[in-house]
Amino acid sequence: MAALSGQRRLERRWGLLMALPAILGFVIFTAGPMVASLVFSLSDWKVGGSLEYAGLDNYARLGGDDLFWQSLGSTTYYTLGAVPLVMIVSFAVAMLLNQKVRGLAVWRTVFYLPTLVPAIANVVLWIWIFNPDFGLLNSLLRQGGLPGGMWIYGESTAIPSLIIMSTWGFGNTMVIFLAGLQGVPRHLYEAVSIDGGGPWHRFWHVTLPMMTPTIFYNLVVGVIGTFQVFNQAYVMTEGGPNNATLFYVYYLFRKAFRESEMGYASALAWVLFMIIMVVTFLMFRNARRWVYYEMAGAR
Amino acid sequence: MRRRDLFRMGGLTALGAAAAACGGGGGGAGAPGAVELQFMYWGSTFEQKAVNKMLQAFERSKPGRKVKPLFTPDEYDVKLNTLVAGGRVPDVGYVPMAMSFRLGEQGKLVNLFPYLKKYPQLAGYLPDAYLWSGQDNLHGVATANEIELLWYSKSAVAEAGIAPPPADAANAWTWDQLVENAYKLTVDQNGRHPDESGFDPKQVRQFGISSSITYGAAWYGFLRGNGGDIADEQGRKCLLDAPEAIEVFQNLQDLVYKHRVAPGPGQLAATGDDVPGTNILLKTKRVAMVVDGHWSLLDMNESKVDYGIGVLPKYGEPFTASQVAGASAVFAGTKHVEEAVELFAFHIDPRYVDLYQQGLWMPQEKKYYEDQAAIDSWTKNAAHPQEFRTAVVDYARDHGVPDFRNRLKNLSAISSDLLTPALQELETGKRSAAEVLKEVAPKITAQLQGWHHTQEL
Repeated sequence: MAALSGQRRLERRWGLLMALPAILGFVIFTAGPMVASLVFSLSDWKVGGSLEYAGLDNYARLGGDDLFWQSLGSTTYYTLGAVPLVMIVSFAVAMLLNQKVRGLAVWRTVFYLPTLVPAIANVVLWIWIFNPDFGLLNSLLRQGGLPGGMWIYGESTAIPSLIIMSTWGFGNTMVIFLAGLQGVPRHLYEAVSIDGGGPWHRFWHVTLPMMTPTIFYNLVVGVIGTFQVFNQAYVMTEGGPNNATLFYVYYLFRKAFRESEMGYASALAWVLFMIIMVVTFLMFRNARRWVYYEMAGAR
Repeated sequence: MRRRDLFRMGGLTALGAAAAACGGGGGGAGAPGAVELQFMYWGSTFEQKAVNKMLQAFERSKPGRKVKPLFTPDEYDVKLNTLVAGGRVPDVGYVPMAMSFRLGEQGKLVNLFPYLKKYPQLAGYLPDAYLWSGQDNLHGVATANEIELLWYSKSAVAEAGIAPPPADAANAWTWDQLVENAYKLTVDQNGRHPDESGFDPKQVRQFGISSSITYGAAWYGFLRGNGGDIADEQGRKCLLDAPEAIEVFQNLQDLVYKHRVAPGPGQLAATGDDVPGTNILLKTKRVAMVVDGHWSLLDMNESKVDYGIGVLPKYGEPFTASQVAGASAVFAGTKHVEEAVELFAFHIDPRYVDLYQQGLWMPQEKKYYEDQAAIDSWTKNAAHPQEFRTAVVDYARDHGVPDFRNRLKNLSAISSDLLTPALQELETGKRSAAEVLKEVAPKITAQLQGWHHTQEL
């Protein structure tokens, strides 16, 4: 017994030591800054100035800030467009890649490849695709005799353009769907076939219900991710034209680092954090109704 | 286009990675007794070379001084803000104009007022060059006196068979003359002009003119020339909804959508938002005439463009925005104030710095616009074309109006939250200038906090 507890002690010590880099990383780079930003959000701190307690002033100011509402609206619009579109496209492609076809590995690689393109290279590519004068999209439309669009340069088309662009990086979501599809038990499909069901029945009564946990996971991760959309606004549109693509995190960035209003920007950050938390909570609440777990009690 | 405002002094879209902007606040590294200073700046790759040469000249002329250049071509305000927040500011450097007033008010920049006696060359500046954040608190100066000009491609003008844009203010084109000539200079892929039937606005080979709607310095001369301004004398009421202002902006919008002689948003961009430099636009004859700052001269010469310089078209008065530049300042965090001020005085002194002869900068000292020998000292060389004297030196001295971006309080918030979005809307051509400006002007009024302090020396 003494030997065992000695080993346990050893394990505990070493375990803690091994986990230390991760713990330190979390404390220094995540928890610390979070606490700091909470403190900043209660102050009127501007870079270079002194930190003075301002209570909930920053939070009160949010309500009357048109751009706060505008950025929240743009971000929600983008989320509502991009998340379903990416989910549908990646689910469909995952289904195709779940078939027994020749060159499967090649296809899977091809569809995953865009995910590996660095974010900025990706953005530069799409800037060219969207160019109203000599971009790929308008050239194709012109050849088909259709009028071209202003894409990211038009106020009403900017967010839809970015939503279209978001499907480009569906590879990660697709891989998760693919893994989920491969976990669907064969015998359920066989049962449907024996009962005389066709492909639609197999999809509707087996694939979809069995996939709900995966769909749910991708939904939550997708919503959290798109609420924090930033790169496109930062590199492609700078929030324009006329604030059409002023996404929440970009607005926050602008307040913090261009206008140096760290206090206000920190309040923006905390409000976003709370919004995401509430939305995620609601999704979990709602999930009980439509997500099916085969193993009872698993969540 | 918005971010570009900050980096307009560079002309070229800045390339290359930033030098790591982290270092001690000018700690005395190296030999004992040696003072190491840090100089932070932005600019094009040509400007980078020129500034580094200036810093080396400083080291040679002052033994025991070392200067570490911190070249930061992109996201300058973000990086500088981060350094200020971290308490690791450089000793001397460029500061984006609006930010300089904030830092000045916060006491983060050394007050240069007491040093004017020690460095008399700093005391003879054009009055608009001084940046005050309160009575007797001189937190910096505009790095160079830059003005807006009408650059053109000589061969495009010759091909169109028109007289080149006038190079002296007395003979400046009227707006109508500008439009008329821009028609002749605009050509689609089939060689048609916008006033000919069959002209294809989607396939324009050469645009007649490019004059930015979103870039304040480009239109401020027009606005003032037409008797308007951005705000009233108290700086408390926005005047962009006045008829004079509406006329100026409607004319700019009409260049794109009515006359079709100017590019709309996205039409010049090769990759994204950053429009190629004026030197590239003229050299490739994508555009025949461009309204841009004097600083383009360096890049124009470096890339061997066949360019000419004209004055801007006039409304009532032939005005152009002057002092279109960032600020230069000494940071209060420096451990070596005296040496830092010494470097500050050096880095903008035409006697030691060849950025003036090379065409990047225009001097701030009055004598370089008034005294013949002093004028010759920076303009009599191959980088400055014949018309430079009337089109730039005389034009700046007699017809410059200081850029409102150096003078209006709270401008960075007004600009990013209200003004730029409104001007972008104008640029997309969906609504007229009257509609857009009447809507935004009261909102800007609500954010106005007056003009910055100014005083006589």
